[in-house]
Amino acid sequence: MVLPLSLLRTAQNHPMLVELKNGETYNGHLQACDTWMNVHLRDVIYTSKDGDKFYKIPEVYIRGSTIKYLRIPDTVVDLVKNEVNEVRRQQKDQQRSRKPMGRGGGPHRGGRGGSAAPRGGGRGRGK
Amino acid sequence: MLKYRMTSSLDGYMNRVTTVITGDGRTIVGLLKGFDQLINIILEDAHERVYSETAGVETVPLGLYIIRGDNVAIVGEVDEEIDKRIDLDNVKASPLAPIWIPG
Repeated sequence: MVLPLSLLRTAQNHPMLVELKNGETYNGHLQACDTWMNVHLRDVIYTSKDGDKFYKIPEVYIRGSTIKYLRIPDTVVDLVKNEVNEVRRQQKDQQRSRKPMGRGGGPHRGGRGGSAAPRGGGRGRGK
Repeated sequence: MLKYRMTSSLDGYMNRVTTVITGDGRTIVGLLKGFDQLINIILEDAHERVYSETAGVETVPLGLYIIRGDNVAIVGEVDEEIDKRIDLDNVKASPLAPIWIPG
């Protein structure tokens, strides 16, 4: 499952449309966001509720609680899955390097060294 | 035996076609890709169904949507079999009024 705020975070530097509860919309590139859904957009086009006024604004900061919905590019869902996997992989790697290796597993550490040292020799998981 | 089980979360709707009725009275249908405790909702391949008394239902493609929980009134699972049989072009219905009085 993808969390809405993870998806939003992945959508950084992508274009998006934000509609506020009052009906105004803001089109721009997502610069930053936080866990309250506050968003910082750049190169914004503002459209009034009735769609009769348009303004170009260099940047806006929108309080999350005023947002009704966000429309983001379709491709971002696929990116978020990759990102989640990447984070998991990194966490796994970190754990692996922190924990001492189990019997016979992993690269041979310590001992006499040398590339010819047999893996898991001696007390290893022999047959 | 209970035929239907009330779920305490939207877990059972994950990756299913889901309809969301928003606080401003819109009906949005899409694949549920995620949600959180605040009922912020991700809909993939979302479409809005615009009801009218004079013409058939207009389906407006919206794409990928994050709907803020504040704006969610109802979430429902769509029975795709039944939904496919509905001829939306010939359905006439009055649009829903806003659920919440616009502030």
